[in-house]
Amino acid sequence: MERLLGNPRAVLVLLGPALLVYSLVMLVPIVWSLVYTVYEGNAVSGFEFVGIDNFVRFFNDPTALEAVGFTLRYALILTVLQVVVGYALALLYVFFLKKASSLVRTLVFFPVILPTVAVALLFRRFFEAAPTEGPINSIMEFIGLNTFDWFGQPDASFWVILMMDLWRSMGFYAVLLYAGVVEIPEDIIESARIDGAAGWRLVRHIILPLSLPVLLSATIFSINGTLKVFDSVVALTNGGPGTSTTPLTVYMFQTSFSFGQYGYGSTVALMLTVMCLLVTIFIFRASRRDLTRNEK
Amino acid sequence: MTTLAVTPFHRRVRTFVRRLPVFIGVAILLAIVAYPLIWLLLGSFKQQDEFLSEPFWSLPRSWSLDNYVEAFVGGGLGKYILNSVIAVFPSMFLILLLGTAAGFALEVMVWKGRGAVLLVFLAGVMIPLQMILLPLFTIYFKLHLTGTLWPLIITYTATGLPLTVFMMATFFRAVPREIFEAATLDGANIYRIFWSVGMPLVRNALFTVALVQFFFIWNDLLIALTFTNSQDLRTIQAGLLNFTGQYGAVDYGPMFAGIAVNVVGTLVLYLFLNQKVMKGLTAGSVKG
Amino acid sequence: MITARGHRRRNLSIVAAVGVGVIALTGCAGGGGGGSSTKEFTYLGQTQNTAISGTLDVLAKDKCAAAEKAAPLKADAIDGTTWDQQLQLLAGQDALSDMSMAGGTPSLMQEFIDSGKVLNLSETFKKEGLEGRVLPAAESTIKALYGGGDLYALPTEFNIEGFWYNKQILADNGIEAPATWDELVDAAATLQANDVQPFIAAGKDGWPITRLVGDYIARDLGPDALKKVADGDASLTDPEYVAAADAVAELGTAGYFGAAAGSIDYNTALNQFLTGGGAFFYMGSWALAAFNDQEQNKIGVDNIGFTPFPTVEGGKGTIDQVPANVGIPVMFTEKGYDDDVAQWLDCVTANYGDVALNEFGQVTGFVVNNPPADQPALTQEVQNIIAEAPSSVLWFEAAFSPEATAVSQKNGGGLAAGTLTGEAFMKLVQDANK
Repeated sequence: MERLLGNPRAVLVLLGPALLVYSLVMLVPIVWSLVYTVYEGNAVSGFEFVGIDNFVRFFNDPTALEAVGFTLRYALILTVLQVVVGYALALLYVFFLKKASSLVRTLVFFPVILPTVAVALLFRRFFEAAPTEGPINSIMEFIGLNTFDWFGQPDASFWVILMMDLWRSMGFYAVLLYAGVVEIPEDIIESARIDGAAGWRLVRHIILPLSLPVLLSATIFSINGTLKVFDSVVALTNGGPGTSTTPLTVYMFQTSFSFGQYGYGSTVALMLTVMCLLVTIFIFRASRRDLTRNEK
Repeated sequence: MTTLAVTPFHRRVRTFVRRLPVFIGVAILLAIVAYPLIWLLLGSFKQQDEFLSEPFWSLPRSWSLDNYVEAFVGGGLGKYILNSVIAVFPSMFLILLLGTAAGFALEVMVWKGRGAVLLVFLAGVMIPLQMILLPLFTIYFKLHLTGTLWPLIITYTATGLPLTVFMMATFFRAVPREIFEAATLDGANIYRIFWSVGMPLVRNALFTVALVQFFFIWNDLLIALTFTNSQDLRTIQAGLLNFTGQYGAVDYGPMFAGIAVNVVGTLVLYLFLNQKVMKGLTAGSVKG
Repeated sequence: MITARGHRRRNLSIVAAVGVGVIALTGCAGGGGGGSSTKEFTYLGQTQNTAISGTLDVLAKDKCAAAEKAAPLKADAIDGTTWDQQLQLLAGQDALSDMSMAGGTPSLMQEFIDSGKVLNLSETFKKEGLEGRVLPAAESTIKALYGGGDLYALPTEFNIEGFWYNKQILADNGIEAPATWDELVDAAATLQANDVQPFIAAGKDGWPITRLVGDYIARDLGPDALKKVADGDASLTDPEYVAAADAVAELGTAGYFGAAAGSIDYNTALNQFLTGGGAFFYMGSWALAAFNDQEQNKIGVDNIGFTPFPTVEGGKGTIDQVPANVGIPVMFTEKGYDDDVAQWLDCVTANYGDVALNEFGQVTGFVVNNPPADQPALTQEVQNIIAEAPSSVLWFEAAFSPEATAVSQKNGGGLAAGTLTGEAFMKLVQDANK
C-alpha cells in the first residue's frame, strides 16, 4: 500500500505537468528577473551592472518606503476585514439561512463579477463631492455634516479603497469559507449541541477550531492578494492624491515601464515578494502553533 | 438542560426575536450588494449627458437599446467575448486538471520532498505578476507566440496553478486517509484512486476552485493587455477600455451596456456552477 | 489486474497527451503570428486614437493607392493605458511597426532615438526632397520635445492651449477676456463674488493644473525657462519658479476651482463647462470636437471664446508664444524603412493634413492645401492662431524625466484643491527630476 501511494512514476505523471508548466512560466521568469535586480536600464537602452545599488536605493527612496507603508497598512487591514466578514457571512449562510442561503450567497457574491473599471466608477460616483453630489455626501449633508472631498485627502482615499475592495470581495470569501464550514460533519455539531454548546460558545469551541485549515488558506490567500493590490487602486485613485495611495505593485510597474528603470523595478518587485514570503511564513508559524494546541 | 421546560411555541417566538436583527442585517446587506446591479442596468440605457448632469439615482429617459447596438457594432464586443471564452475555458480546464493531480500527488501520495515542492508552489502565490511580464514577453516573442491567444492561455494556466495546487492539497488533507488506504487494499491502481476516488471526494472543492479561478482569469486586465498586441485579440476586459478616449473622455452608455452583457453572462455561469455545488452538497451532507 | 493495467495505460496516455500538448504550447507552436513574409506597411496605434488609422485608411484607398499597391497598409491598435510598456517590450525585441504612434513620455522617445530605432525625418526629408510639408510651429514643437535639433516624428495632431470662456457668463458679470494674469485674477474674484465658479479644471488628471504653472513660468521667465531646469541650470525651487506655482496655488486656496477640485475628472470638467457650470476652462484645441457637438455642448459653440494664456506683468514671455502640443505624434522605424515605406512617407506627408481635416476635423501640423469650405468660426479662429503663431512653448513637464512628470501630474490636483503650497509642489517635482 505504501508502495502504491509512493510510486515515483505515478508522482511524476500526476505532478509533472503542473510542475513543468509552473516552472517554465513562473519560476524561470522569476529567476530571470532576479538577475535584473543587480542591473540598471531597460530592454531598449540595454542593461548595465550596478551591484547592490538598487537595494541601497530602495531603502533610501522615500516614495518606495511610503509605498511599503501603504501596502502593509492596506493588506493587513483588508485581510482582517475580508476574513472576518467573509467568515461571519459563511456562518450566517450555514447556521441561520441554511437552505435559503442560495439567493443571498449569489447576491452577495455578485460584486466579484463586476469589472474593476465598473466598480471604481460606481464608487467614484458614490463618494463624489462636486459638481454633482454623490449619495454619501448627500446623506452627510442631510444629517447635518459638511460635504467632504473623499478623494482629495490621503486618509479618506485610503478608506474608500478599503471599503470598495471589501465590498467587492466579501461575497467571494464568504463562498470560499462556506465550502469549508459546510464540510464540518453534522454529527460533531449535533453532539456538541447535546452537550449544551450553543451560539457563540458553539462557534468558539467547535466550529472555529474545525474550520481553522480553511481559514488559514483564506488568510494566506487574502494577504497575498491584498499585498499585491493593483487594479482597484489604479482604477479608483491612480495612487492619489499625490502618491499617498500608491502600492508597491503600482510603483514597480511605473519604475519598470514608465520610467524605463527595469532593474530597479525588479528590485521593488523582489522586495514585495520577500514581504509576501515573510508574512506568509509568519501566518503559517502562528497557525501551526494554534493547530497543535487545539489538537492536544 | 433548562430548555426542556420551554414549550415549542415559546421557543419559536424567542428564536424569531433573537434572529430579527440578523434578518434586518441580511436585508441591509442585500440592498448594499444588489443596488449597484440595478444602477448598472439602468446605466446601460442612459445617454451621455444623463450620466454627467442627472443625479446618481435618476431613471433613464428612454429604454432604447442604442447603447447595446453601439457596444456590439461600434465597440466590437462580440469578438472580444469570443476571445475571452477561447482564452479562459481551456485555461480553466488545464488549471483544474493539472492542479488537482498535483494536489493529489503532494498530499495523498507519500514521498520524500513533497513538503518542499508544495512550498515551491506556495511561493508562486506570492510572486507579483508584474515581475514576470518582461521575461515572459521575450519568451513568447522568441517562440513566435505573440499574435495568438496562446500567451494568454499559457500564462493563465501557470498563474492559476499555485493557488489551485495549494487549495486542492488543503482539501485532500481533509479527506480521511482511510478512504485511500481502503481503495489501495481493494487493488485499485493509483490513477484509478485519483480519478475514481479522489476526484469525486473533492468535487465541491473543485467547483469552488473553478469559481475562484474563473473570476480571476475572466477579470484579468494586466496579462491581457501585456500579451495581446493586436486589436483582434482583445479580451472583453480590454475591450471595455475601448469606450475611453485619448484625453480621458468616457463613453458611458455603451460601456455600461458592455459591462451589463459581461455581468449577465458571468452571472449565468455562476448560477450554473452554484447549482453544481449545491447538488454536490446535498449528495453529501446537509447542515441543519 | 488486467483491468488495472489497462486503466493505467489509458491514464498514462491521457497524461502524456496533456504533457505533449503543454510542451507543444511552450515549445514549438510557432509560425502563427509575428513575422510577415510578404511586404506590408505596418502601423500600430492606440485604440483610443481613431483619427490616425482612419486617415491612413482613406489615404490608402485614394491618394496613396500606389504605395498601397506596393506594400498594403496593415493597421493595428493596442490599448493606450499600457502604451509605453508595450512599445518598450516591442522595441526590446526589435519588433516595432514600420510606423507607429510615438512613446507617451519624451524620455522614452529619447531612448529610441539614442539606440537608433527611430528614423531621422530631417535627414530623410532632405534626401527625398520632402521638405516644407510640416508647419514650422509644429516642427519646432516636436524638435523641442525630443531634443537634438532633428525631427523624429510627424505631427498627426497639433493643438494649441489656452483659456476657453463662456461669453455669456463674462458679459453678465461685466468682464472682458483678460490679457494679463492680474486681470485674470481680478475677473476670478468678481465671478466668485457673484457665485459663479471662475475656473473649471480636471484636477484629478493633474495636467490641466500643472499646465497653468508651466505657462506662467513661460510668460514670466521666458520660453526657455523650463529648459534651464531640465539642463540643471536652474531649479524649480528657485524663488522665481516657486512664484509661478504659488500664483496657481493662490487660485486654489481662494476656492476658484470649485469644491473637490482635486477629484474632478476630464469628462466631468468638460461637461461642467459645456453646461454653463463655470466661466474659464483651460484646455487644448482637441476639445473643439466636443465644443462643436450639439449633443454635448448645451451652451452653444458661438457662446465659447478663446483667449491665450495671459501675460505676466514685467515678464519676459509674450502673449503670441502659444502653448502647443502635438498629442502623440507618429514615428517611423529605422529598421522598417525601405523604398516601399519611403513611398508611403512621401504620400502621407503630402496629403495627411488635408484628409485629416476634411474627413475627421482633426487639425494637424501638416501644411493644408485644400481647407474645408465651411468650418465653425471657433475652429477657423484656432487654425488662424496656429498659422500665425511665430513660435510655441511646451508644457510644464515636457522636458522633465518621467518620474518628475508623474509626480507633477499626481500632485497638480493638490494645487487646485488648495491643499498643497507652491513651494511644496515645486520641491516634490524637483526632487523627482534627477
